[in-house]
Amino acid sequence: MRIHKGKYRLAGRNLNFDMVDDLSLNDSGGCFYFRGGNGFGKTSFLEKVIIPALKADSLPYLYIGQDIRTQLYTLRALLSIQGVKVAGADEVELLKLWINQGRSASVLIMDEFDKYFPDYGFIFDWCADFIQTYIIVTHLPLNRRVTAACNDRIYNVRFEMIGADGPLKNIRVKSE
Amino acid sequence: MNKIVILKLGVIFGVILVFFWLFVFGPFYDDIVLQIAVFVVIMGWNVLRFSLRDTISLLKFCLPFVLSLFVFGLMFHFIALFGRTDWLQDTFIKCLVFPSSLIFLKILLTYITYLDILNLPISMRKRIGLITMKSAFQKGEKILRRFSWYLNTYPDLQSGNRIKSEIKKYACLIIALYLYLYEEIENSNHLLKNRYQHLYEAKE
Repeated sequence: MRIHKGKYRLAGRNLNFDMVDDLSLNDSGGCFYFRGGNGFGKTSFLEKVIIPALKADSLPYLYIGQDIRTQLYTLRALLSIQGVKVAGADEVELLKLWINQGRSASVLIMDEFDKYFPDYGFIFDWCADFIQTYIIVTHLPLNRRVTAACNDRIYNVRFEMIGADGPLKNIRVKSE
Repeated sequence: MNKIVILKLGVIFGVILVFFWLFVFGPFYDDIVLQIAVFVVIMGWNVLRFSLRDTISLLKFCLPFVLSLFVFGLMFHFIALFGRTDWLQDTFIKCLVFPSSLIFLKILLTYITYLDILNLPISMRKRIGLITMKSAFQKGEKILRRFSWYLNTYPDLQSGNRIKSEIKKYACLIIALYLYLYEEIENSNHLLKNRYQHLYEAKE
């Protein structure tokens, strides 16, 4: 799946993205690290550009949002209507159960997951059989376990603010 | 101050009772034209008090209930249940009355502020209970949109039969909201009681 280079405007969020290069997400797999300062639109880019593109391509994905505590209520509800026993399960167990149910997905998106679980290597162990592409928003440096899980196919996507027109922020999105 | 608050709450609950007596159980229930007008006015009121987005999201929330009402009404009409021939008309009215009354109730209740609750001549324990309820339901309303967003991202709810997926999605939405409110009420209540207890002890 390819996100084409060009301008993407999210008027509702006062963000103007300029994508310098095409972003090929699912061609050969790997880990895409979205980096950039707070308020540079990484989450908005995920939710308003990447996820709609995945939906449009009918590419199944799993998304773990930044507000994971909120999301867990929906996971608990989803798993219970699927007949999975969730009573007493803690958040890690819930995530594991959910990821295990989502084996049709080939893309896993994690938005600042390391904020809750700084050593999140366990996620890669759970998904190794079916996930090809990881999209990870983070502020932390990569650790060895994560690098190994990505088979050294690591791509950085950097979000940089290049200016502002009043409340509207102009953000350059550059792949490295 | 207490008297003004009691008067205000009296008016709010009075208006709610009159609305339900006139349009839900009473003389104007059968008047389709009036029910359409009431529906339009209430939606307009909600747009002015909150936003168009909020109104659309509330209507979307009501949609599965309205649709199930409609489907049952249609079935009853075709099999002429109890020999009645007015099932369709009655269903249409119910499809208007349900969202109208729900949103009307929601709008009116938002006029009750935290300060009103604090000024009520009731025990602090009851005040804490009311404040907790109000805060939880306010948060619950906002969180509904986010829950819905998340549910739309889950592959299990995207595949297969569209109607089945939508029903599953709404079931999840209601369960998630229930779990959230349950936890939120418990946590807020605990927090408020704790703070009140410490403030009271500090004052002593």
